[in-house]
Amino acid sequence: MGTINSALSVTTGALDADQEALNVVANNVANANTTGYTEETPDWQENAPIEVGGISIGDGVTETGTTSQRDRVLEERLDQQQQLASASSTRLTALNNMQALFTPDSGSSGATAGDIGSDITSFFDSFSSLESDPTNNALREQVLSSASTLAGDISGAASSLNSQSAALDQEASGVVGQVNSLTSAIAQLNLEIQSTSPDGDAGTLEDQRQQDLSQLSQLIGINQVTTENNGLSITTTSGQLLVSEGQSTQLTTGAVNGVMDFFLGGTDITADLASGGGQLGGYLTARDVDIPGALSSLDQLAYGISTSVNAQNNAGTDLDGVTGTPANPLDIFNEPAQAAGSAAAMSVVMTNPNQIAAASAGNGTGDNSNAVTMANLASRLIVNGQTPINSYSNFVSTLGATFTEVQTENTAQTASVTQLQTQNNALSSVNLNDEAAAMSTLENSYQAASQVFTLLNSIMASALNLGEETAVT
Amino acid sequence: MRVDPSYITNLVGSLDGTQASEQQLSAELSSGVSITSLSQNPVGSGENVLLLNQIQQDDSFTQSSNLVTGQLQVADSALGSVVSELTQASANNGTLNASDVQSIGNQISGILDEVQSLANTSYQGQYIFAGGKTGAAPFSTSTATSPAVTSYNGDENVNQLELPNGQKIQLNVPGGQIFLGGGANSVFGALNALVADYSSGTVNTQQAASDTAALSTALNYVSQQRVTIDNSMTQLTAASSAVTNEQTQLTTAQTDLMQADLPTISTQLSLAETQQTALEDVIAQLESTSNNLFNKLQP
Repeated sequence: MGTINSALSVTTGALDADQEALNVVANNVANANTTGYTEETPDWQENAPIEVGGISIGDGVTETGTTSQRDRVLEERLDQQQQLASASSTRLTALNNMQALFTPDSGSSGATAGDIGSDITSFFDSFSSLESDPTNNALREQVLSSASTLAGDISGAASSLNSQSAALDQEASGVVGQVNSLTSAIAQLNLEIQSTSPDGDAGTLEDQRQQDLSQLSQLIGINQVTTENNGLSITTTSGQLLVSEGQSTQLTTGAVNGVMDFFLGGTDITADLASGGGQLGGYLTARDVDIPGALSSLDQLAYGISTSVNAQNNAGTDLDGVTGTPANPLDIFNEPAQAAGSAAAMSVVMTNPNQIAAASAGNGTGDNSNAVTMANLASRLIVNGQTPINSYSNFVSTLGATFTEVQTENTAQTASVTQLQTQNNALSSVNLNDEAAAMSTLENSYQAASQVFTLLNSIMASALNLGEETAVT
Repeated sequence: MRVDPSYITNLVGSLDGTQASEQQLSAELSSGVSITSLSQNPVGSGENVLLLNQIQQDDSFTQSSNLVTGQLQVADSALGSVVSELTQASANNGTLNASDVQSIGNQISGILDEVQSLANTSYQGQYIFAGGKTGAAPFSTSTATSPAVTSYNGDENVNQLELPNGQKIQLNVPGGQIFLGGGANSVFGALNALVADYSSGTVNTQQAASDTAALSTALNYVSQQRVTIDNSMTQLTAASSAVTNEQTQLTTAQTDLMQADLPTISTQLSLAETQQTALEDVIAQLESTSNNLFNKLQP
């Protein structure tokens, strides 16, 4: 009797275990499309065998819980790669906005609006035209109008770059709020995980924590450090502590020299964040490296042209026989004091075309030798050791090449993210075919156990009836 | 190793890629421009700036040369007239009877006025034989002394037009050089001397012959100066046609660089479309519910 009872107990245990395993499958299927859900598999454990008269008899099975199919190393790799890809794609968007300001001139139409390269050429060409008839008022007007176009286009491009920089400033500050709420959430989850499952995988809680980490990786560059009792500390890529187990430190922003800087516990970590990765890294790289680089090229261009042209115009004699003096200079452009900022400030200050000094100092007003010298400035190395047009040509090539470089980087990083994502999905996401197979197996197993139970029940009945009547059917 | 069950997400990513490429190709087709942003061809974009610069310079020179041609023609024609006037004046040699003296004197005096007016020729309000001081008539004659003195108020400035290749073309010859070309070559010196010779009534024939000879020398000298202007005109014509040729070549190069190659782009577009259709088919196949194992399970 005792053995039949224990066989019944083993069978009911099997039925219970199968039931629980079916629950796990049902839960997996239900969460097949839940973001961040990790597939769970039932844990089976053999019950301790019973020793009867030196013979070991099996005592059935228990379903002890579930294991999430998770690879922490893989997930951390994915997060890291995501930080890089997200930084380069944010930077790429910013660079794309920048290069849109300098669309190549197709040259199909004569009037080329907004192209600084054409403006530079037109401006110096206007002096070449003036050579042919230095006293001609129309040609003098032409010099001033092409100077205005040039100054307008350069200062327009510079002010567009400045507003793009301001927009990036805004977007970067916007990221901070999201980062702070994610780090507090992670700190809270750390506490829960440490108290509920210090020794093993925390399942759904762990899913949430991983989900938050992956979101955080979109935003900034982080390092993850696993601590005791399944806790987690997070630092920025350069080592500043964002989350220490149950505590998070908030990022704050503050204006420094007209731009938004980022602080962690009073330390300015803007430069670290810029090189760190994530959207914030991308925004800050574009704001602090790419845009200032482009602006500095334009500044050099504006500074070189303005100072050289002004100096040369002051060296000659204008149509009224006047030569510029330091007190009363004959400046065509507003004279910049320094290269920085001169692109945004570039403008034409001369209003009277007679003041263009086509003649050399002391010569008659019909002389054109100073106009020849001014036209020749186009081929002199007046912009940081380059001719103006070469300087602009290099500038557009460099900007285009930077974009291409970041694009290539981004393509490689995105491919790597996709690959890691595929690997991670292969391990962790719910495969409905697998679940169907598992369900079929469990169903069979459940049916078998219930068959055994029915049989045992009959055997038990015949044992109770002591062979008078058997109820076995 | 299991298969990533979310393959459809990845396929949709590829689909996005082909669509973006189709969009880019369509934009190139419709605009006819192959480089629509710097990043598409950074080196080409830089090169384009330089090519356009040269094309514009050539274009600007062509316009300047049209302006300058007019001025050079006026100068040439004025000097031509001076030469013919002087030829006429220096023809008055040989034996003169007394009654001719007065009329010759008047004639030469008239020629002197004519030559001075030619020397003061202006083009578009600017005196072309005044060197750099084009704002005022360069020549004036003072009759306070005999012979009278014609003085030059211009300067010796020479204007030059610089070609895109750096070569320079002389645009003017200062009047002082042409008409007061120093001592024996002075047109006005010879003319004023002749006027004095014939105004006194009695002609010192030896002096008159000597002054006429001086005028002939001056005449030759003016002809030589005229050659400078003629040379400039020839140079300008040659330069213009060279520049026009260069401009044509540069424009071709620039068009090659920037213009979309329609056959290539059409092929690429059609390829991208095929790829897209294939991807869509694959997605449709994979998405169809009959492929799910759950459908095979009997309830």
